Amino acid sequence: MRFVLAAFTYFGYLFIITMYSVKIIKYLRLPMHLRSEVYPVIPGDQVPKEKPYYENLEWWTKPRQQNKLHRLWFLFSDYFFLREYFRRDRGYWLVVYPWHIGFIFIITFHILSFFGALFELFGVSVAPNSSSLFGIGLYYVSLATGVISFVSGLFGSIGVLINRLVRSDLRDYASPQTYFNYLFLLMVFLSGLLTWIIADPTFSEYREFWKGLIVFKPIDVETVEAVHILLFAFLLIYLPFTRSLHYITRLFGFLLIRWDDEPNLRGSLLEREVEEALEQKLNWKGPHIQSGSTWRDVASGEASPGRSGV
Amino acid sequence: MMGRRVRVSDMGRKGDPLVEIRSQDLMPIPAISANALQEPLSKGLTEQQKRELECSLDGFVAIGIPRPKSHQEEEALVKKFLEGLKKLFEKENNWTFLQPLVHSMDCCVKCQLCSESCPAYVASGRKEIYRPTFRPELLRRLINKYIKGQGTFLLKVTRSDIELNFTLIARLAELVYRCTLCRRCTQVCPLGVDNALVSREIRKLFSQELGIAPREIHEQGTVQQLKVGSTTGMTPPALHDIVAFIEEEIKEKMGRDIKIPMDKKDADVLLLHNAGEFMSWPENIEAFAILFDAANINWTLSSEIAGYDAVNYGVWYDDVQMARVAVKHAEAARKLRVKKINVGECGHAHKAFIVTADRVLTGDLNIPRESVFPLLEDLVMSGKIRLDPARNNFPVTLHDPCNIVRLMGIVEPQRRILRKICPQFVEMEPHGVDNYCCGGGSGFAVINSRNFKDWKVHISGRMKLKQILEAFKDVLDPTIKKYVCAPCSNCKGQIRDLIDAYHLGQGHNIRYGGLVELVVNAMVDIEKPFIVWE
Repeated sequence: MRFVLAAFTYFGYLFIITMYSVKIIKYLRLPMHLRSEVYPVIPGDQVPKEKPYYENLEWWTKPRQQNKLHRLWFLFSDYFFLREYFRRDRGYWLVVYPWHIGFIFIITFHILSFFGALFELFGVSVAPNSSSLFGIGLYYVSLATGVISFVSGLFGSIGVLINRLVRSDLRDYASPQTYFNYLFLLMVFLSGLLTWIIADPTFSEYREFWKGLIVFKPIDVETVEAVHILLFAFLLIYLPFTRSLHYITRLFGFLLIRWDDEPNLRGSLLEREVEEALEQKLNWKGPHIQSGSTWRDVASGEASPGRSGV
Repeated sequence: MMGRRVRVSDMGRKGDPLVEIRSQDLMPIPAISANALQEPLSKGLTEQQKRELECSLDGFVAIGIPRPKSHQEEEALVKKFLEGLKKLFEKENNWTFLQPLVHSMDCCVKCQLCSESCPAYVASGRKEIYRPTFRPELLRRLINKYIKGQGTFLLKVTRSDIELNFTLIARLAELVYRCTLCRRCTQVCPLGVDNALVSREIRKLFSQELGIAPREIHEQGTVQQLKVGSTTGMTPPALHDIVAFIEEEIKEKMGRDIKIPMDKKDADVLLLHNAGEFMSWPENIEAFAILFDAANINWTLSSEIAGYDAVNYGVWYDDVQMARVAVKHAEAARKLRVKKINVGECGHAHKAFIVTADRVLTGDLNIPRESVFPLLEDLVMSGKIRLDPARNNFPVTLHDPCNIVRLMGIVEPQRRILRKICPQFVEMEPHGVDNYCCGGGSGFAVINSRNFKDWKVHISGRMKLKQILEAFKDVLDPTIKKYVCAPCSNCKGQIRDLIDAYHLGQGHNIRYGGLVELVVNAMVDIEKPFIVWE
């Protein structure tokens, strides 16, 4: 059993890192696009407003206000608030918030457990009676994130599942995969909670498991803990096939699309990029389009009419 | 189909309209009686039109796709649709919006947080087909089945086993013309998903691959503009006649002898008006001429093809047409060697030319472009023009054109002007970036054929109607003159239709107009009031 657990855990982490990396690289390599920003940049009153530069007379002669740190702060802090849900659908926020917190914390918990194991291998005891303050801190933080994750995630999973079943606006857009996702996560959180209650109240055994993984000497754990480890490994393998990447691509969606108001100034690098994009050939077949010509020729009216897609 | 909830999977089922719009279902407006509307709202189609055109979405027709005459014709249409769908996700064919499209298709979790932001969805009585996530979900399922080629099991798991036929395609073509592209739904999405953009991309698929688009925005719109110079059909000689007429009007009404500069080389400013102003609201052109003359601005109009019509309908449905029109606009400016271009009071022209085409125009076509609002603000706030707010002493509310405000961030200049020159200025709620679309966005203001006007007046414009009436709720008495400031030609067109349909002019003495008219109306040096109350 120990080898099965170890194999799935190794594979799970490798798989998700590889798949997410591939997906993110693919996303970032999408071509530069026409602008389609939406204002305000940073909604609400969390941080001072940036003055939109188009409000300035001859805006191209003036510096543009853009606070990247504020933007990042808003985006990262929102993981822990889900402000729009709170503002617009309080009932749903009550379940989707703990669900997301459960998800973020379970990832954090597993990462902390890895580091806890690593530090123990380097001689730092991770325990309430550790001689190292860091070890004591890591012990309590790991314990707290684990427990919060399992409790919050379990409550949230049940809540989102009920919401999807009861609310017709959510049910009509759900698929069997949606329900499977909810149930699967519910099982992961439940198994984690049971592990904490029944088998591993300090998560020290889980750190031992991780130590075994790090030194390539897998160990056995209690059955309930083994179930949780296995389910979590399956979750890592399954996540790339869900919409979970939105945790990361959401950042790009805001920074590279919704708030991307970078103007194309004459002689800029961006202008060169635009020129390259315009040299691509398009193959649309609408009657008004000269299929096979470049975007530049089609736009400027220099494409041969004989190449019409009609 | 009627009587039960419509689902995405119903889109291909042949038969009756998926929904029927009844006045009792519409969002109530206290000052307007539901009984004032004639049933059914989707009236006005002839029997022949009903027979020949696909009108089984909601009974309204914006495009009117003829039914195929044979099975082969239907198959050919389906094939073309799928080819277009594939191209939407290819870099060469859709570098323009691939990233936003992929992001929106991949990230939406269908939490429906955006639904209540959509004025058409809410005003219709929450008809499912108008929900912002409905169209993208349909597209997602089509992609799963026909582009990704998911097998039977996965199709069941993702609920994507959906049949693609003429009915679905025709209904989808109509349905993407039930979204005004106001992007209020985008604004609230915590994941950065842009469901309005998905509608716009589907419009593009139909136009760029199948040659399907509403006649008013394609043949009579961009095609005509590129050919004769304007979507109104106004040719350069006709423009000269109209400008001469406007000069006479200024002289007659205001006693001012103003020569409107045409094709003046090396001017500081090329002012680009929506040609609709020349035809329907010449007072807007007059006001700019009077103000710029008084402020000694070195400006000009252009009489080049498309150089006198700022509209760019391509921004609503077709990247190629959008780029062509933008290039024409820039060429007109280049020819005159102007220092900058100011886009007049036209919302979508602002966005098309200043924002969207920003990554189309390069080199000597990349001429500085800005909104006319900061320029107006400078004239008003700097004291260059003497103004007397008492001349505008009547209730004024401000409509925010989505393209200028939510999509460009120009929120305050127009407000600072109104606060200075209109003592009874009152905001409508919500306002600024949160304001609602007039209901005529994305081409609806100019789509008037068949029975579409009823849809835009009773559904997409209903929220604006409610906002206007609420803004003026304490002064609805018809003896009090009231002014809806709508600094955008298309918004003015839609608000005109709303005022007519609901008799707000006679009933409540509400009129509408632009921003510059209010500025000129407040000018101390003008003897007679510029704004005429009819």
